[in-house]
Amino acid sequence: MSVQKIEKNFITITIDGKECIGKNGDTILKIARANGIYIPTMCYLTKVEPIASCRMCVVEVDGIEGMILSCQEKAVEGAVVTTNSKELHNQRQNIMKLYNVNHPLECGVCDKSGECDLQNKTLEFNVSNQNFSIKESHKKVENWGYVSYDPALCIMCEKCVRVSNEITGNEALSVSVGGYKSKIVNIKNSNCSSLGESAAVCPVGALVNSDFKYSSNAWELKQVPASCMHCSSACSLNYEVKNDKIYRVTNNYEFSSLCGLGRFGFDFENKNAKKDPVVFREAISAFKRAKSIRFSAVITNEEALILQKLKEKYKYNLVCDEAYGYQRFLNAYSSISGASLYSGDLSSIKDSDGIIVFGTRVNDDNPMVKYHITMASKRKRARVAYFHPIEDSNLSNVITQFVKYEAGSEEGVVALLASVLLNNHKISDDLKSFLDNLDIGNLSAESSVGEEELDYLVKSIDKKQKLTFIVGSDLYNHPRTVQIAKILGAIEKYSDFSLVIVPPATNALGVSLICSLDEKTEGYTIGYNAIGDFELSSLGYGDMDMPALNQQEGTLTNIDKRVVPTNAALSYQGYVLNDISNELGFEAKYTIDYTSMLPVKAGYKTEDFDNLPDFFDNSGIEHRGYPLTSESVKVVENFDEIEDLPTYDGAIIYHCNENTNISVFSNVTTAFKSNEFYLRGSPQFANIVKIKDGDDIKFNINGIKYQRVFKIDEGMKGTIAINPIFDMDLNKNQNISYRFNHLHREQ
Amino acid sequence: MAHIEEHKETQSIQKEKQNYVMLDFGKTPEYGLPAFIQVVRRSLSIELLKGLGVTFREMINALFRGKMHTTKYPFEKLPIAPRYRAIHEMLRLLESGHYRCIGCGLCEKICISNCIAMETKYDENQRKEVSEYTINFGRCIFCGYCAEVCPELAIVHGGRYETASEQRAGFSLFEDMLTPIDKLKEQKEFAGFGSISSNADENIKKTPLAY
Repeated sequence: MSVQKIEKNFITITIDGKECIGKNGDTILKIARANGIYIPTMCYLTKVEPIASCRMCVVEVDGIEGMILSCQEKAVEGAVVTTNSKELHNQRQNIMKLYNVNHPLECGVCDKSGECDLQNKTLEFNVSNQNFSIKESHKKVENWGYVSYDPALCIMCEKCVRVSNEITGNEALSVSVGGYKSKIVNIKNSNCSSLGESAAVCPVGALVNSDFKYSSNAWELKQVPASCMHCSSACSLNYEVKNDKIYRVTNNYEFSSLCGLGRFGFDFENKNAKKDPVVFREAISAFKRAKSIRFSAVITNEEALILQKLKEKYKYNLVCDEAYGYQRFLNAYSSISGASLYSGDLSSIKDSDGIIVFGTRVNDDNPMVKYHITMASKRKRARVAYFHPIEDSNLSNVITQFVKYEAGSEEGVVALLASVLLNNHKISDDLKSFLDNLDIGNLSAESSVGEEELDYLVKSIDKKQKLTFIVGSDLYNHPRTVQIAKILGAIEKYSDFSLVIVPPATNALGVSLICSLDEKTEGYTIGYNAIGDFELSSLGYGDMDMPALNQQEGTLTNIDKRVVPTNAALSYQGYVLNDISNELGFEAKYTIDYTSMLPVKAGYKTEDFDNLPDFFDNSGIEHRGYPLTSESVKVVENFDEIEDLPTYDGAIIYHCNENTNISVFSNVTTAFKSNEFYLRGSPQFANIVKIKDGDDIKFNINGIKYQRVFKIDEGMKGTIAINPIFDMDLNKNQNISYRFNHLHREQ
Repeated sequence: MAHIEEHKETQSIQKEKQNYVMLDFGKTPEYGLPAFIQVVRRSLSIELLKGLGVTFREMINALFRGKMHTTKYPFEKLPIAPRYRAIHEMLRLLESGHYRCIGCGLCEKICISNCIAMETKYDENQRKEVSEYTINFGRCIFCGYCAEVCPELAIVHGGRYETASEQRAGFSLFEDMLTPIDKLKEQKEFAGFGSISSNADENIKKTPLAY
């Protein structure tokens, strides 16, 4: 049976005399590229569906008259393909001549010069004279915020339009068709930073980053491969550096994507750090005196390991507010599912045709998850059910069903979901009795998730092949987080869903796996990018400087459960955590010496940092670091009874940062720095709180005082307002509390 | 063999054509008395006054007829050839007065002594603007590559050759080298090093202009 299956799955074709093996259903171009055979293209972009606007990829297939577009033609078993002949060359040369008609001769100042597809292919196809012409018309340059568009340089390959529709999902760009006068139009007048993703794929200098434009030539910049430090996706990127300054961020746009924050928020480095022996001695004495260490999850695996080793030696209380709830959640999940790690990842979201998103404002919490949901929606026509107390207008084009539940009722919602999703599955007796005892009517009424909504959900995902369940930050600090995690574990274990537990901060997953965390600090506390009596800070305003994540090398554990390397893009003159730990009785020359010591029990490998690969191969497979192995965990199936669901009436505050200002680190970058912290709410919220647009509002949540300017967001509904918490002073307690809270106004 | 003989023949022909004449200076006196007589004769003849006459004439010309040949250097300078490579000048467009530099950065890249540094940015008029431009004349070897590579004839070598200064590193900013806007009318189309050849028009290949 297996042999037959392999035969069905793989086909062999001959390209230029070379036998190539590819997957059934792959296009000729894809198979050729995977096998290292070059077919020139102008409009082809691997990560989106074939555009077929350039016709450069034409090939000849034996037995078929005429030329075939290899980018969209699926290969047939035994086909004999020729990628180069005199006719094909002439054809391609003519295409290049047409592209060059009236293309401004401004390569000298153009940003793209040196990495321009048009330049390269014009030379490659030896275009030495031009026999086409047309009357030129005036075309105005347009500025769209983070990017600017020059129609005169545009070759209308449509890559940017595809990316904005299929990947970022903001659907801002469109083609205005008009023959020679065709151009790209920004139909939504969007100046969203995610347009940077469209600019990245532009083969010419038409769509470029406004801040980078005309500041440096591409070939002068040194590329430093790294991982993005803003959220837990830790996307692969290159910092492009000249004279110890980052000029821009690029990525391997054929196979991977970057959100606006990752692309434009790169200058968060700790400038002017110096080695001051006096401060260093103070730090050492602080460490000797301290009882606790509090740190942020924006940290490398190696540093987390150093802190864990310090804890083991000096018996510190190790506190990471961002990762503590996540660790507890993950452990509770493992106790049911029997695996230390969740089963899904970003690529499984992309390939899904049925997705449930629960307990996360996904567009803001993790843009890359949203991108992958968009890809699933556009390509697989995925059903996307979004469960959240607040509707998100940014997701309206991908969501097929929005289910609104009452804030605080997550436990009830997940129990209801379990009861319908596990309905026809074979489950354990414990779980069966738990589900049978549920008071469905009551839960449904309390959470306001209607039974007909659940029926509709079950019907819509019926017969879907690949299902993914995405859960996020609302749940990790929920008062009933353990119970919720257990039920989710059961859903994953007994149904066809794969689960993605989105880490709440950059390396929250790594910290949860490496460190044994405590809930609270006691006594004298060292704060590492967090509040403490002695503060180490990568932002430059603590008692001692630490390198920011673009100034140090190390590894991060990302949402894909992958250990990915990152490198230092900028120089750093100060002390690092390793210097302190060396003084405290450990010995390692560099921080990265700890990479091979990461705990094998948690699924890490004893691989040296320098041996970690960091590239995408020709067929687009990611070779970055290594994937964690999921260890098996002892299963203890017991479920508590569902308590009465808490009620959140009246005005409610929801802690949530916008996706361009995800953390304190994004708030120091030039592109996203903001001193205005708006509380955004619906007109209805304004009504019940009796507040007007532009009014100051002070309130108190868990002992932390907030002062915000209220702003009415017409797109919002209900009585929940969104409160951003990316300012450093308030960072101290943000993630230890449940994200929904009653509004207690202070006068 | 034949061609060697031929060669010899032409050599002998050339020898015959040589027409040297030995001048008759008389005999150099070999002992005391004739030598003494020669000195006295030469001293007392008018030839001395002839020489003094020339000197006197030039003195009159210089003093009273305005035909002075001495250049009073720091106050006066000799004109230099257009291809002379001295301190750089930044030219403006004669029509609009805007500076010619388009910020392509080729001069910075080709500079073999790494003495040109520039920064560019995107300006409000959506042009590439030169925000910083300096040349370190302590390092510059005046090779002329920058002027030669410049596609716009924006950076050229001028005639200011006095580069002595109190310290090695002497910087010039873009504004220092740029033609002052009030002297735009005096700016001449540059004919020196790096400028286009006189027959440039003949070398242009025509692009299709069918419309």
